[in-house]
Amino acid sequence: MIEFEGISKIYEHNGNELRAVDQVDLTVNKGEIFGVIGYSGAGKSTLVRLVNLLEYPSEGRLLVDGEDLTQLSKPELRKVRKRIGMIFQHFNLLESKTVRHNVAFPLAISGVPKKEIDSRVEEILEFVGLSDKARQYPDQLSGGQKQRVGIARALATSPDILLCDEATSALDPETTKSILKLLRRVRDEYNITILMITHEMNVVREVCDRIAVMEHGRVIEQGSIFDLFSQPEHPTTKNFVRTVMENEIPASILEGIEKRGASRHIYRVTFVDESAGQPVLSHVSKSYEVEVNVLFGQITELQGIPFGHLVVELQGEDKEIMRAIDSIQRSVTVQEVKAHAG
Amino acid sequence: MQVKLMDFWPRILEATNQTLLMVGISLLAATLIGLPLGIALVVTKNGGLLENKPIFNALSSVVNFFRSIPFIILLVAILPVTRFIVGSSIGTAAAVVPLVIFSAPYIARLVESSLLEVKPGVIEAAEAMGATPWQIIARVYIPEALSSIVLNLTIATIGLVGASAMAGFVGGGGLGDLAISYGYQRFETDIMIATVLLLVVIVQLTQTIGNFVSKKIRRQ
Repeated sequence: MIEFEGISKIYEHNGNELRAVDQVDLTVNKGEIFGVIGYSGAGKSTLVRLVNLLEYPSEGRLLVDGEDLTQLSKPELRKVRKRIGMIFQHFNLLESKTVRHNVAFPLAISGVPKKEIDSRVEEILEFVGLSDKARQYPDQLSGGQKQRVGIARALATSPDILLCDEATSALDPETTKSILKLLRRVRDEYNITILMITHEMNVVREVCDRIAVMEHGRVIEQGSIFDLFSQPEHPTTKNFVRTVMENEIPASILEGIEKRGASRHIYRVTFVDESAGQPVLSHVSKSYEVEVNVLFGQITELQGIPFGHLVVELQGEDKEIMRAIDSIQRSVTVQEVKAHAG
Repeated sequence: MQVKLMDFWPRILEATNQTLLMVGISLLAATLIGLPLGIALVVTKNGGLLENKPIFNALSSVVNFFRSIPFIILLVAILPVTRFIVGSSIGTAAAVVPLVIFSAPYIARLVESSLLEVKPGVIEAAEAMGATPWQIIARVYIPEALSSIVLNLTIATIGLVGASAMAGFVGGGGLGDLAISYGYQRFETDIMIATVLLLVVIVQLTQTIGNFVSKKIRRQ
């Protein structure tokens, strides 16, 4: 649906080259919710603006639904833009117009007859749950309601794609959740492809199917939510994962491990999918001469799949422990934790 | 030879009429020139909707040039132009031409600053929706900035009231002229006070109406 092929955006600043987006290759599939995550200044805002050509790429090809937008004339581009909705961090609503007129705006500029506009606006306001606010002005609404108006406005022209530029970054966690739920409904009920950029890992975890991590204009890692959360490779990805999942062993526990020296047998056991439901550890302690002591752990859910890890200490004779580990490894991943590593 | 204030009322009334006429017509004409000029400044600006450096620089220089000429000099300097436009270089109508040339560039700058208050994100959103530059001007810039434009036009109107006082130089008449020629130069203190009071009332009324209309627009 959206294909970035070697896309770069280069700014000239006092003779210096700034590569805001650097050689990005990405494909967003139809009907997918794709998240791009990165710290501020990573180039994600520029990236999302390339899709509807609010920014022109300096290099590379960008295809939307197989069509290279850079080849279009201005009127043709405006037509395509009506098929690409966009919502913003600060909502960008017309303050001088009511909710109804804000939602009607994209239809009115396309010359849709008034009757059709009225019924479409009513329908879409119903969808976002703001039918009773139609006659209010944006400054009478809460942040979450404003973003709902933003979403309604973006959907008014029945687009194929919805671009979300930090759409929840100005909202509190509770409101963020309700907006994300709404975005999921947008995808599920209208089959709209969603490309969202954010710096919040909990946002992508909540709704995205796949994500890409950006740093210094480059995509440093991409994959399904599950893969990136369970096996982050790049340090930046790991940092992001850590913001929502405590992956590292807390310092106080590490300290305790260090004190008692290398004689201890500490392992990180990672559960994925159905293994999370199996009594692996209790089975081991019953079958072998070992005691299992859980030091630390977390179980969570990613895209409906249970995922988690436990840091455990196995106490007993070395030989028994080795056999126990062998047995555990058959169903889950086990890594030895060294005192200084973590 | 003292002039009785009571006998002088018809003159004051006539002068009030002249002031309102000069200010009203100048405001209308200056807005008709200044509004598009202000819009042009904003859209041709660096990063604007229709970014165009040569046009922006040319417009900006012309505006600055006319804004730097003191009104009293402008009044005399453009006498030939005035004569060409209104057929005469003296009288109330003749005073309107320099007033327009004086305030149109000022209004252009005021409109420019009002339009620049519109959040760039709102303009970007309209662009993302596929709006044409003209649609963005007519349906986003102007309605979003209208309340601020009205306030700024109020400022321009009051400036015009002040400038119109100098219209006496070209026989334009008006309250300011009356205050100067009778009150100040002939020491008719009560006439001076009466005319100045009238000017105070006009300015107060203008500001009050401006505030009211601007507020009405903001919260329709």
